[in-house]
Amino acid sequence: MPLPIQVMLFQQNAVEPMQVDAPTEDNDNTEEEPYIVENPTLDLEVYANSYNGLAKLYRLIYIADHCPMLRLEALKMAITYVMTTYNVSLYQILHKKLLQTVGTPGLPDIAAQSTSQDIPTIDQMWVETRSKKAALKLEKFDTDLKNYKSNSIKESIRRGHDDLGDHYLDCGDLSNALKCYSRARDYCTSGKHVVNMCLNVIKVSVYLQNWSHVLCYVSKAESTPDFPDVHGKDNNQSIITKLQVAAGLAKLATKRYKMAAKHFLQASLDHCDCPELLSPGNIALYGGLCALATFDRHELQKQVIFSSSFKLFLELEPQLRDIIFKFYESKYASCLKLLDEIKDNILLDMYIAPHVNLLYTQIRNRALIQYFSPYLSADMRRMATAFNRTVSALEDELMQLILDGQIQARIDSHNKILYAKDVDQRSTTFEKSISVGKEYQRRTRMLILRAAMLKHQIHVKSPQRDNTQGGEMSVAPGNSSLAPRN
Amino acid sequence: MVLNEVGKLVLELEKAELEAPGGVASAQAYAQLLAVYLYQNDLCNAKYLWKRIPANIKSKSTELGRIWVVGQRMWQRDWPAVHTALNAEWSEHIFSIMNALKDSVRERAMSLISEAYSSLGLTGLAAMTGLSLEQARQAAVEKGWGIDGMTVQPCKLDKEQCQTQASLTEDQLYKLTQFVSFLEN
Amino acid sequence: MASALEQFVNNVRTLSAQGNFRELCDVISKSTDVLMKNGQHLDNVLETLDLQQHSLGILAVLCVKFSLPSPSGARNPDAYKPLFNQVQEFILGCNGEQVRFAPETYAELCHLLTQSLIDLHVPIRGIELLHRAIRKIQLFDSQLTSIHADFCQLCLLSKCFKPALEFLDTDITGISQEGGQFDSKYFLLYYYYGGMIYTALKNYDRALYFFEVCVTTPAMAVSHIMLEAYKKYILVSLILPGKVLIVPKYASQVVNRFIKPLSQAYQDLITAYWTNSCDEVQLVITKYQEVFVRDHNMGLVKQVLSYLYKKNIQRLTKTFLTLSLSDVASRVQLPGPADAEKYILNMIEDGEIFATINQKDGMVVFHDDPEKYNSPRMLAKLEKEMAACAELDKRVLEMEEEVIVTPQYVRKACGQNDQDDQTTGSPSTIAPNAQGQPKHNTYSM
Repeated sequence: MPLPIQVMLFQQNAVEPMQVDAPTEDNDNTEEEPYIVENPTLDLEVYANSYNGLAKLYRLIYIADHCPMLRLEALKMAITYVMTTYNVSLYQILHKKLLQTVGTPGLPDIAAQSTSQDIPTIDQMWVETRSKKAALKLEKFDTDLKNYKSNSIKESIRRGHDDLGDHYLDCGDLSNALKCYSRARDYCTSGKHVVNMCLNVIKVSVYLQNWSHVLCYVSKAESTPDFPDVHGKDNNQSIITKLQVAAGLAKLATKRYKMAAKHFLQASLDHCDCPELLSPGNIALYGGLCALATFDRHELQKQVIFSSSFKLFLELEPQLRDIIFKFYESKYASCLKLLDEIKDNILLDMYIAPHVNLLYTQIRNRALIQYFSPYLSADMRRMATAFNRTVSALEDELMQLILDGQIQARIDSHNKILYAKDVDQRSTTFEKSISVGKEYQRRTRMLILRAAMLKHQIHVKSPQRDNTQGGEMSVAPGNSSLAPRN
Repeated sequence: MVLNEVGKLVLELEKAELEAPGGVASAQAYAQLLAVYLYQNDLCNAKYLWKRIPANIKSKSTELGRIWVVGQRMWQRDWPAVHTALNAEWSEHIFSIMNALKDSVRERAMSLISEAYSSLGLTGLAAMTGLSLEQARQAAVEKGWGIDGMTVQPCKLDKEQCQTQASLTEDQLYKLTQFVSFLEN
Repeated sequence: MASALEQFVNNVRTLSAQGNFRELCDVISKSTDVLMKNGQHLDNVLETLDLQQHSLGILAVLCVKFSLPSPSGARNPDAYKPLFNQVQEFILGCNGEQVRFAPETYAELCHLLTQSLIDLHVPIRGIELLHRAIRKIQLFDSQLTSIHADFCQLCLLSKCFKPALEFLDTDITGISQEGGQFDSKYFLLYYYYGGMIYTALKNYDRALYFFEVCVTTPAMAVSHIMLEAYKKYILVSLILPGKVLIVPKYASQVVNRFIKPLSQAYQDLITAYWTNSCDEVQLVITKYQEVFVRDHNMGLVKQVLSYLYKKNIQRLTKTFLTLSLSDVASRVQLPGPADAEKYILNMIEDGEIFATINQKDGMVVFHDDPEKYNSPRMLAKLEKEMAACAELDKRVLEMEEEVIVTPQYVRKACGQNDQDDQTTGSPSTIAPNAQGQPKHNTYSM
């Protein structure tokens, strides 16, 4: 969860990262970058344009909530967009937020300037007519569905449910949308329909952040009997991508980063069309970061760097591509520096922001481990510069890694040198065998005792069956008072 | 005092306590048992012995209390305080045990110091061993430790030295056979 | 009335003389009322019976005497002295063979004795006697009797633990058959008290074993003994280095379902402990102080905290070659370098870490375990351990063989299991050698 502090940081650093970004700005259609470039309006628009439906609204609201500098812009955009839907309640919420933003003094200058221009005011007329229209539409779909049902034509009923679901979604009523989409299930007549139903449910579940539900329906879709050949080949690819991406999101949200990376890596750019969930740039970012944090060198090389399909995604995120290549080339200092530069950006991404710190730590740890792996001893002062840390902070990080068994080393805190630990195989083997032997003895003794216990049928019975139990109940606490303690 | 002699004494005293009429032994027996436990560095048993000695006996015998003060200090591992507590007049029936305890505590302190320190202040050495500065310096020199002004540099004892080299006896050969036959079955 | 009593004496004498002890047991069990009503004459009865020849009769009379009101009405040790002496005389002099026909009455006598000793606040007086009593009734040294629990209770109450170790150190391999079924209460109590004794003597490894036995005892209901044992099991497991607390799979469902929720304070303590932060642990201790004090576990809880300091220092030895004393103090959240030095010094003495302190520049150098596994001493130790393993293995094999030759097992293994399934499956059959079940469960451990 990005903290307010980080948002503050973003404000302060807003200008600085741009300068570094400038040279790499060879690729204009990168979605993540724009909103730290000079004119946030434009970039926010590009960003927002990669999404549609609730995904767009949620993302804009997330940015508005987490970045005061872009708040006004984001809210305005969201309001414009929400007016194309029937989501009246969200419209009202957005206006409330807008009012707060405008009302808050001490806004950044940019915001102040645009304030004077055109702040949309809440349009009660729109609200009323829109609500009425929505109700009418709902009634129509409802009667339609009833008619279909009385005629009991399966296909029509399915469609009726879907239409109703679409409408609920348009109104922002997620739980009802989910209900309708799920109900369609009973009227599916082909594998294609089942997959379609799954995709609908997955979409709503992503909005609801019900990740176990997402995973459940992804596997349901994948296990649909004639799944591979129900839709044309191309269409099929795009469905696979959608499912992988949804599964990736769910794994990411539940902190199973390695699984998340694997899912994202299976997406195909040519068939990546899911603006209602995320953009191709998101896939690159999520997949790339998760892979960096969890893959070993070999996996990174094989599955990310040499992956022809994922390469295309990485082209969308040149900075991330550089980070991955720098990491692979063991240029950790610049890799970590680049990571820090994009940190503010990705902190505005609603799905990955909560995991940024964890992923970054894991990436750092991987870097530290790889850095030290060829050495017998390393000067911690130089290591600290390479990793852009103070020596004592590095010491803490290393300590944790050593304790976790990720680095076989010892720290000479006096001279600030990290020594690789040569493990005496012979001694450890002895040590291990003795402890295994002790454990065996313990277990076996218990086994013999347990055999005797079972033979004599010793077990605690329910009190009602055996009244002596009552006595037992009171014995223990009473006597524990006698336990001599020090 | 020879170790197994102490062991025998403990057994006798423990038995005497259990068989004492009314379950209460004499103050003298308690004092001896407590002192012997301390000598064996068996602080747990010493502690519980102290706890089970009836209050009226404790109040009658102040010496019993003083022995336990030693035990408490040992429990807290407050070396200087142990020596202070030990430096007292002990009555005849525990005199030899307490003296032996005094020596063994000092011995333990010395070996711990040689184990744990590569350098320490002479005052620290004196405090831990309960010796005067001059005596402590003397003791360090006897052990062959380096002294630099007020700092002592103890050397580690080579433990392996004192071990006797056991040769491969028939007994061990027998054990080996047993082991191999176990593995193969 | 007196005639009924005479009848009793006559029965004892004739049946004992005939060696018909089974019948005698039946007769005696029916005579309790008679004996109760003739409380004042019981001493006369005792005089007519012989310690060796009529052990069963005397046993019955003594049992009844405990349930009678005190002779002089006073509840003090002196009033009971004659009775204690009679019991003592009986236990020392009775005929073991004969008494084994009524092990439950024998155990009952010991329970009664224990209870009155406790009531009279002189538990230490029973230690020696019960020690003899157990040895007399046991068929072999590693057989558990319900008297074991009494014995441990007396040791605990009198704070005299050494005598208990003789029993506790022997691993139980068999359980005595007392009146058809051994009461799980005494089984649990033995392991609970045993665990407490080991804890008091700081033999935590063994204590954990005892509490584990207690916690993993099959159970259909929550036993308070088990609950208390579970709490101590948690605390001791935290004290022991390198032990991760996992309740074995074969523990009863009751543990997870009821006992865990009943010991929330302890669960929180575990969570705090695994952060390795002494401050966190201290917070939990403060929060649940009342619970810990009520459970009489406060001392042990404090030990947990102090062992966490030690554990953190041990962690340092794994990561550092050198470290200044003040760094040690700040890393393990001790107040200052002097405290760190004291902890380290004590740990060195106990062989828990290997380090050298340099007082001059305030540094500590950590070493690896100097053990090179090449000394004759180590060889001897290894040989001992291997022999112990081999011995246990042999024992298990023997047990397996025993199972394999039971008719029930053979029948089952040969597939004729239809009627057999019902007999072994139903709880009503207390088959003395229902070894089909143990076997199955043994291997599921």
